Amino acid sequence: MHRLQELPGEWIDRSVALKFHFEGREYSGFAGDTISSALAATGLPYLGRSFKYHRPRSIFSFADHDSNLMFQVDGVPNVRGDVTPLREGMQVTAINTFGGLYNDKARILDRFSAFLPVGFYYKAFHSKRLFPRWERMFRRLTGLGTVTLSSPRALTPKRYGFCDVLVIGAGPSGICAAHEAVQAGARVVLVDEGLRAGGSLTAVDGEERRSMSALLQALVRSPRCDVRTATVASGYYADHWVALTDAQRMTKMRAKAVVFATGVIEQPAVFRNNDLPGVMMASGARRLVARYRVAPGRKIILLTGNVEGYEAAVELHAHGVPVAAIVDLRADSGDELAVQACTKLGVQIVKAHVPVQAIRGFDARVQALDIAPLQASGGVNRDATRRLDCDAVLMSVGWAAATQLLTQAGATTAFSPLLQQFLPDELPAGIFAAGRLNGVFDFNSRCADGRRAGGAAAAYCGYGESRLAPVARSTRVPSHPFAIVDHDSAKNFVDFDEDLQVKDLQHAVQEGFDSSELMKRYSTVGMGPSQGKHSAMNALRVLSRERGMSIGQLGLTTARPLYHPVPLKILAGRSFSVERRTPVDAQHAALGAVWMPAGNWRRPEYYAVGGATRLQSIAAEVSTVRHRVGLIDVGTLGKIEIYGPQAGEFLDRVYAGSFSTMRIGMTRYGLMLDEAGVIIDDGVVARLSSEMYYFTTTTGGSATVFRELLRLNALWGLDCQLVNVTGHRAAFNFAGPACRAILQTLTDIDLSEAAFPFLANRVGQIGGVESRFLRVGFVGELGYEIHVPAGGAVAVWNALYAAGVAHGLRVFGVEAQRLLRLEKGHLIVGQDTDGLTDPFEANAQWAVNMGKPFFVGQRSLRILQRRGPRQMLVGLEFADSARMAKESHLLIEQGDIAGRITSIARSAVLNKVIALALVTPQRAAASSDVQVRIEGGEMLTARIVPTPFYDPKNQRQRVEGA
Amino acid sequence: MFTAHESLRPSYDVVIIGAGGHGLAAAYYLARDHGVRNIAVIEKGYLGGGNTGRNTTIIRSNYLTPEGVKFYDESVRLWQDLSEDFDLNLFYSTRGHFTLAHTDAAMRTMRWRAEVNKHFGVKSEAVDAAFVKRALPMIDMQCGGHAPILGALFHEPGAIARHDAVAWGYGRGADRRGVEIHQRTEVTGIRVQSGRVVGVDTTRGAISTPRVLCAVAGFTPRVLDMVGLHTPIYVHPLQAMVSEPVKPWLDPVIVSGSLHVYVSQTARGELVMGASLDPYELHSTRSTLDFAEGLSAHMLDMFPFLSEVKVNRQWAGLADMTPDFAPIMGVTPVEGFFLDAGWGTWGFKATPVCGKTMSYTVATGRNHPLIEGFSIDRFARYQMTGEKGAASVGH
Amino acid sequence: MVCPLNGPRPVLEFAYGGEVRTMPDPASCSDAQWSDYVFNRSGSPAAKFEWWCHIASGFWFVALRDTLNDKVIATYPAQAARERLEPPESLP
Repeated sequence: MHRLQELPGEWIDRSVALKFHFEGREYSGFAGDTISSALAATGLPYLGRSFKYHRPRSIFSFADHDSNLMFQVDGVPNVRGDVTPLREGMQVTAINTFGGLYNDKARILDRFSAFLPVGFYYKAFHSKRLFPRWERMFRRLTGLGTVTLSSPRALTPKRYGFCDVLVIGAGPSGICAAHEAVQAGARVVLVDEGLRAGGSLTAVDGEERRSMSALLQALVRSPRCDVRTATVASGYYADHWVALTDAQRMTKMRAKAVVFATGVIEQPAVFRNNDLPGVMMASGARRLVARYRVAPGRKIILLTGNVEGYEAAVELHAHGVPVAAIVDLRADSGDELAVQACTKLGVQIVKAHVPVQAIRGFDARVQALDIAPLQASGGVNRDATRRLDCDAVLMSVGWAAATQLLTQAGATTAFSPLLQQFLPDELPAGIFAAGRLNGVFDFNSRCADGRRAGGAAAAYCGYGESRLAPVARSTRVPSHPFAIVDHDSAKNFVDFDEDLQVKDLQHAVQEGFDSSELMKRYSTVGMGPSQGKHSAMNALRVLSRERGMSIGQLGLTTARPLYHPVPLKILAGRSFSVERRTPVDAQHAALGAVWMPAGNWRRPEYYAVGGATRLQSIAAEVSTVRHRVGLIDVGTLGKIEIYGPQAGEFLDRVYAGSFSTMRIGMTRYGLMLDEAGVIIDDGVVARLSSEMYYFTTTTGGSATVFRELLRLNALWGLDCQLVNVTGHRAAFNFAGPACRAILQTLTDIDLSEAAFPFLANRVGQIGGVESRFLRVGFVGELGYEIHVPAGGAVAVWNALYAAGVAHGLRVFGVEAQRLLRLEKGHLIVGQDTDGLTDPFEANAQWAVNMGKPFFVGQRSLRILQRRGPRQMLVGLEFADSARMAKESHLLIEQGDIAGRITSIARSAVLNKVIALALVTPQRAAASSDVQVRIEGGEMLTARIVPTPFYDPKNQRQRVEGA
Repeated sequence: MFTAHESLRPSYDVVIIGAGGHGLAAAYYLARDHGVRNIAVIEKGYLGGGNTGRNTTIIRSNYLTPEGVKFYDESVRLWQDLSEDFDLNLFYSTRGHFTLAHTDAAMRTMRWRAEVNKHFGVKSEAVDAAFVKRALPMIDMQCGGHAPILGALFHEPGAIARHDAVAWGYGRGADRRGVEIHQRTEVTGIRVQSGRVVGVDTTRGAISTPRVLCAVAGFTPRVLDMVGLHTPIYVHPLQAMVSEPVKPWLDPVIVSGSLHVYVSQTARGELVMGASLDPYELHSTRSTLDFAEGLSAHMLDMFPFLSEVKVNRQWAGLADMTPDFAPIMGVTPVEGFFLDAGWGTWGFKATPVCGKTMSYTVATGRNHPLIEGFSIDRFARYQMTGEKGAASVGH
Repeated sequence: MVCPLNGPRPVLEFAYGGEVRTMPDPASCSDAQWSDYVFNRSGSPAAKFEWWCHIASGFWFVALRDTLNDKVIATYPAQAARERLEPPESLP
């Protein structure tokens, strides 16, 4: 391969030379080159190695459809050379080599390939003892490029797009479709994966080129059209939601209608050594010559089975690349005009011959092509094989419709034996197909078909009327029905990603993998990076022959997203994650908070003060609450208000307890169950007025619980309304023996035991901020939950803190609160209960009123009452406090699991280790001893005791005076 | 490898609906261990074309409940000998399996699983963050700052295998023992007379049979309708995706419940990635963009250096879900109708033991002891198994 | 998905709330009827009346959706869940 003279319209800028390295040596290309075109111009004999046999490979499709030209570029694996623009200073190497491209030690695998048929790996190396050793070897050999473990997270933006008509493919039919839709008044987006629009048009001049350029210019100028090149429609998703990806980002395009003008993909002829460097697709050669000015060779044979082969020869000639000979697989092509044109140019034309094999030269490239005549019977006369010298073989034998996206959109296809191509059959609403994809092949028909589809798509969106008649499909045969030639020595490749030969597919069929799906899975045909774009049709033809069934009967395998592989960074985008912070987050930080996640929130686990350890800090926080006064931010709790005459009735139905009869100004614990009677949430419910309640949910459950309550309210239609005020309100728990006296200095309401007893609630003010006071006792001391509007949260927090500090106040975190509540035997839903725990098992029947007419879970509780508990939540005390079990350590009895610790802590105030555990009902009796297995299998003895562990009569929460 | 049969026989001793791994394994063990050879396996698509060929090939036994641990541990034992049993390499590859914990609640669950596992002799350990970092030095322990890793459940026997080959191995073994596998044959009805199965109608004719085993993950409710059975099974899609091949860098299987990711690297060098179930009922294997976006973001949270690695393909399977995340197996109120269903997202790893236990159950008419906890009537009795905690992420 | 309150919105904005089901009278039904209601589902694909919530607005409504192909056939205000729903005569 070599670079040609300058041609007007070429895509490279010869005034800008770009230096780059390939396999450690420096080369030069031009601005506008892709990696592949620049490498092709170097004249290097080959550029990559195949996946399995490490055979030398070079440019093949030049359409991003073969995976042998993927490179390691600047540390990035699997960079597609065909479409990646060359940059100054690029460091490019071949992938999957052992010792470099030209000295690849793994090339020896090619010699053994005869012994490595498809399925071989399933039949060997499977001794249980030896497989791990073989596997280590496989894992060294496998894979393509190499991930650079130190490379950073790349952040890419995403954008949303909206349009009336999305046209995928900017070839003649796509351009015409877009133009027609724009003319009708629709907003249109036209995308193409190519670096420029124009599709298959490669001729630098001529009527076709000029008319397309004019339309394209009109589209680019139109305010209603957005033309995006180098943009891949990577996947079609429901409701015309199409992922458009380019090098920088993904655009999620919502279209009202989609025109698929995705064209056709050229397919290789299959013959021995059809993968030698120098053998390539004719369409790829046209692009390479016209756009990048790289000649595929100096003595070119063009293998054809359609008129496009002759057209390619004429065009290449016009672009300064003569074709020496055309070998036509057909006896009678019917393309006489094209044949004459080629003859006139001096091209030798050999009809009714098939390629038997390509001959490999010393440089590993093709040096000749053996061809043999077809007999009238259809057989090949191999005795009459003759050899044509060459340095390039171009193939133009057929096409596969690019139906991948279209079928993702729900369209069906049917195989046309006439066109030898799958054609769109039934199209869903808003989906249109045009051009060669639609079986329309000559230029004027493609344009007309595009206009028809564009007009219909615009009409579907309400612009104008669909008035253009369908365009007749091609009557000539663009694809050869069987451009596949058997060879005893094989190496006739069907799949170049996976190094699969005809015999591999035959072998799969013989083994019983005789449908499209099974053959694909067994042989891996079409499973490589190019997803069968060049192999699926030929594989189907082989299967069809072997089974004696038609291609239409067999059908293609399902094409799934993505059309071309998309980097994780493009799919991921910036990767947002929600983190909620309470209004006094900055205050926590200033006080030394050590954070932990709680649902979406971050909460202080504890406060690191004065160099104390975690455990010391937590112990100090606990002690302060027990003996003086503590302050904790509990604003992450879900907070809900409910208004209306039937608010109490609603709460009676959703909670196991009774609330409609609760007095105004009182507060009560609420236990929420699901329909199966399982505990799913808890909180406190405060009645603020006759028709208004304020209640809390757990932190983790707040969003789902609120949503479910809204659903139940919609279902029941009770006269009440729910408002989620979780984010609108802050909440603090101010607790400890000294809290009342301190709080009384800050608020106008009377906090005396008589005026504001335990479990009451009051509304008052702190420093002018409206505050709801709930006298509840999660931590087991005299305490007030203070709920204030978020806007006043900092003022109230600061006031409480300032007033408390003089009395020894400490702020405390989640860990201290957990220990404090454990001392009181309060359960945490989800920690001390599991996905099946009912209120009887959790010792929470005191929060259940079975006498009510109805509540969610009640009917199941009746059944569960009869069934009896399967586990019981009990308190444990450990005699030995030197060694400590952990949460989730098991209770063991006579070798069987008898329970599990759900919460455990060392209690300073009780001077022992205490725990909650779910145990089998037989073991739940108080005062019995149980064995707990801790790390290393050691057993600790614990005693089952009643809870609360601390202050069992709850005297501290009702304390007078102070 | 498989015999093609021209037509169905008029009657069989057992008809198995579904030529996936489970159905074929049951056929294989019925023929090999129970001497039942007159079996038809009826498949409406192609062999192994359902969830057997759509899963992410993870095999493990680190479950939460005694029932689950014992059952899957037996499965892992069977797995290890399958390649030699079949004379077919399943690429059963023991890799080790990390379930990452990002919250202290998750750490508690990991320890719970580890303790139950160890109790039954299954190698699992709750490990701390330092252990994770040593084993996976490339991982971002902060996960992009979104979900710092606190520790993990490390399950040493965790493995992967070539999923399709499992169906092929069982299929070939069954075929060689005289079992007939009929692909592209759809069951259109099951005939029941006075509470007993008497026959099956198919698109290729009617068959009489006294015993039917239903092993059709994703399609179970449709078959149950034919015999009038009500179950809690509902169907959600489970999606997955795979990258282009890259040189191996990831040996163990990694699962993160908080980030909803599981990933392993195949013998071909591809990264196979999955996430959680789609959030609503659907009987379609379509792919969604938000799945690919969300999973990619979470992959990069853990492995930021994969930014440029490309995703090649998305796909989906249909999962039978149950309220307690445990299967529904064994005899049913319809005599002669046996069920192997409700596999959620973890049916692949159970393939061998399901074949073993269901073949026993079909042959004897009694539930195998290992599947007693999975009986169809446990819901009416409010005796569910508590496996929900072990399945925080679907796989 | 066409939300009765918010109009057509991407499906990602909605949360699924399960099939609309009729609760048997807890006072009179048998244990078997009750557990059938609590646990069992009509799992086969069909056009089903389902609960859906527009997440951002917290608005619950009922959608008739074909669970075979994910097509939303019609949407109704939530009170439809209290009425006896019949699928339209001819499904599109």
